[in-house]
Amino acid sequence: MKDEALASASSSQQSALFYPRLSLNGHTRSISSLKFSPDGSTLASSGADRVIKLWDAYTGEILRTLSGHDQGISDIAWSSDGEFLASASDDKTIKIWSMDKGVEVKTLTGHTNFVFAVNYNPHSNLLVSGGFDETVRVWDVARGTCLKVLPAHSDPVTSVSFNHDGTLIVSCAMDGLIRIWDVDSGQCLKTLVDDDNPICSHVEFSPNSKFVLVSTQDSTIRLWNYQTSRCVKTYSSHVNRTYCLFSCFSHSKHKYIVSGSEDHKAYIWDLQTRQVLQTLEGHRDVVLAVATHPTKDIIATSSMEKDLAIRLWFGKDDVVTQKTQ
Amino acid sequence: MNETLINPFNTLTHPTAVQTSFYAIASFARFDPSGRYIGAGKYDGSVSIWDLETRAQIRTLDGHVKAVTNLDWSRNSRFLLSSSKDWNVIIWDLAADWDPPQRYKTIRFDSPVLSASFHPRNSKIIVALMDTGDVYLVDLRKEHRSRVELVEVQEEGEEDSRQSDMTVVRFDPSGRYIFVGTSAGTILVFNTRTKVMIARHKISGAGVIKGLEFSRTGRRLVTNSSDRTLRQFNVPTYQTSKDGGACLEQELEPTHRFNDPINKTAWHSMAFSPNGEWLAGGAADTATHKIYIWDISNDGQFASALDGGREPLTHLHWHPFKSCMASTTRHGNILIWHSPSPERWGAFAGGFEEVDENVEYEEKENEFDIEDEAEIQRRKMKAEEEEVDLDAVPDDPAQFSTRLSVPRDDEDFTWADKEPDDDSPWKMRIIMENDDT
Repeated sequence: MKDEALASASSSQQSALFYPRLSLNGHTRSISSLKFSPDGSTLASSGADRVIKLWDAYTGEILRTLSGHDQGISDIAWSSDGEFLASASDDKTIKIWSMDKGVEVKTLTGHTNFVFAVNYNPHSNLLVSGGFDETVRVWDVARGTCLKVLPAHSDPVTSVSFNHDGTLIVSCAMDGLIRIWDVDSGQCLKTLVDDDNPICSHVEFSPNSKFVLVSTQDSTIRLWNYQTSRCVKTYSSHVNRTYCLFSCFSHSKHKYIVSGSEDHKAYIWDLQTRQVLQTLEGHRDVVLAVATHPTKDIIATSSMEKDLAIRLWFGKDDVVTQKTQ
Repeated sequence: MNETLINPFNTLTHPTAVQTSFYAIASFARFDPSGRYIGAGKYDGSVSIWDLETRAQIRTLDGHVKAVTNLDWSRNSRFLLSSSKDWNVIIWDLAADWDPPQRYKTIRFDSPVLSASFHPRNSKIIVALMDTGDVYLVDLRKEHRSRVELVEVQEEGEEDSRQSDMTVVRFDPSGRYIFVGTSAGTILVFNTRTKVMIARHKISGAGVIKGLEFSRTGRRLVTNSSDRTLRQFNVPTYQTSKDGGACLEQELEPTHRFNDPINKTAWHSMAFSPNGEWLAGGAADTATHKIYIWDISNDGQFASALDGGREPLTHLHWHPFKSCMASTTRHGNILIWHSPSPERWGAFAGGFEEVDENVEYEEKENEFDIEDEAEIQRRKMKAEEEEVDLDAVPDDPAQFSTRLSVPRDDEDFTWADKEPDDDSPWKMRIIMENDDT
C-alpha cells in the first residue's frame, strides 16, 4: 500500500521519460521475446506464430522474417558480434540463424521438451538453454553439439544466462530456485531462494555480474547479491501472477529497471530509489516482453494475443535526435 | 569471476588431475595469454588452435613444410608466431575473418629455426634461435628495420677460443633484456635495444643449458641443463645502457636445485605457476608421463609427482592465471591438468553457507522475540536504500595484473613502445562448422 502511494506521488512530480514513437505490426500471434542487436540497429522479435522478425530499431521498418520452426518460439538471443541469432522453440530445438545470409545455419537437438530460454556467452562460442525438460544445456555453437546437460531444476526452467566474463551461468525455474553454475565444471555453486518460494520468471546478471535481477510471480522483482545471498533491492507495484514476464536493466546513462506487467502496462523503476518513474500505457493485453536499447534511451515492449503491435518508446533526448535525422 | 564462489577460502593449489585430453598429434602446446585457447605445433608443419571452452579445434594454420619448433602468442593473442625447421618464421593474424587465418608476415632465415618469440611489449620485434647456434634479433618496424646477430663478447685472453653455441633464448618478461643459454654452461644477457652483451653468468656444473624460464614477475629464473638439474636463480639487476661500462662477469649461485635423486631423470621442460608459488618439471622419462611439482613458497620442497599415464612427456606449459597445465605426450596428445574442486552439495540448498571452521551456535537474547512485522518491513526498506553499483567490475583475484611498471624515462623500455603493433583487444570470430563435413 505504502509503495503504491510512493509510486503515484513520483509519477505526478516528474514529467514522462519515454514517449511512444513507433508501432511495429506484423506478428499474427502472441509475441514472446524482444531483443536489440548488440550494435542497437536492429530489433528482433519472436512469437507463437513460429517466426522471427527483424526490424530497424530507429525507423521501425521490417527488414526480414525468418521462418523454419515447427512450433512457437519462446526466446531469442543475439551473438555478441550480431552475426547470429539463436531461437528456442516449442518444437524442442534451438536454431541458429545467420544474419549475414538470412538463413538457418544450425539446429541444436537434444531437449526432450519445449525449449523456453536461450542465451549466448560473451565470446559467443557457447549457448546455454533451459526448458520444460527441467535441464539446463550448454552447447558448442560452431559444431552444434551439446557439451553439458545440467539436471538443474525440478520444474520447467524459465530463464538462463551467462555472466559478463562467461565463467558463470544463472538459471531459474518454476520450482522457485535460482541457481548459479560454474561453466567449466558444470558444478552448482550457489542457490538463492526467497522465503515464500515464488515461481521465478526471469533472471539475468547485472552488467558487472555482482548481482542478479530476478522476476518472480509474486509481483516482485528482486536484485540479489549472490555472493552474500542477500536481496539488496525490491521493485514492486506491477502485476505478475501468471506469466513469465521479462525484466531488464537500462544500458544508457540513466539507471533504471524495466518490466512488463499483467495490467497491460510496462513499468520503469529507478534503480536506486526503487520508485516507479513511469508506466508505459497503450498495450491492450499482458505486456510479456520488454527490451532496452544497448546504448540509447529506447525501450521496446510487446504483448499477448489481443495486441500484436510492438511498441518502441524513445527517451526525451532520443526523440529529438531521431526527428533531426 | 567464478573464483570466489568455487574457492571461497582462497586456498592455493596446483593441478592434480587430468581434466581432458586433445588428440592433436602435437609436439608441444602453449596456452594463449587469455587462457582460452591452446596453440599446438605439429611435426608435419601445421599449427592447430583449440578452444578450451568447447574443447574443439577451431583453426588450422598450414604454412610450414617441416616440423614446427616453437609458438608464441602476442599479448592480446591476435598474432601467433610459429618457427619451423623449414627455415621460416611465420606470423599469423588471427583477427582475419576466414579460416585458415591470414599469414601476416614470413621471415626467412638461412638455417632451420629452433625457436622464436615475440618481444613482450611489441610483436614487431622478434628473437630467433638457429640450429647453427646463432641468435638473431629481427625488428620489423619501419624506423628500426634490422636483423642483428647477437654476438658473445669473448673473455679477455681467450680470443682464439671457439665460440660456444647458443642453445636457448628468451626475452625477460619486461622485454628489456635477452637471456641466452649456451652449450658452455653460461647465460649471456643482451640489452635488447643496443644488442650489446652486458653480462655473462657462469653456471658451474651445468653443462649445456637446455631451457630457460622466467617467473611472471621476471625476478626469478629457472634453467634446465644437461646435468639433469633444474636450478632457480634470483635475477640480478643490471646497469642501464646509459651507464655504459664493461660486460659484467659473474657466477650465479642457484637459490634452489631440483632433481630426481632416485631415477636421475633429465627434464624436458619446466614452468612456474602464474603466482610463482609452484614450479613444475616435466620428466624426460621414456616410459612414463611424470610431472614433478615443487613448492617454491615453502623453500622449494618437493610437493607432488603427477602421473599422466604411459605416453612419455615432451612438453609442459602452465595456464597464464589458473591452476591448470597442458602437457604434451610423445603420441601427440595434449593433457589438460586441473585441480578439481569437490562437488559441494550444500550449494544446492538455498541459503546454505559454508564456513571454514566450526562455529559454536549461540542463541541471541532477542532471537525468539515477537517483532512487529511492519517494523521488520521498515528496516528492510531502510537497508535497501543503500546504493548499488552495477557497472564497476570487481577485481578478479585470479587475474592479477601482468603489466609491469614502466619507468618512462628509461630508453630501454620506451624504445620498444615506438611504432606499436596492432595487437589491440579483439574477438575470435566463431566459424560455424558445416553440417556436411
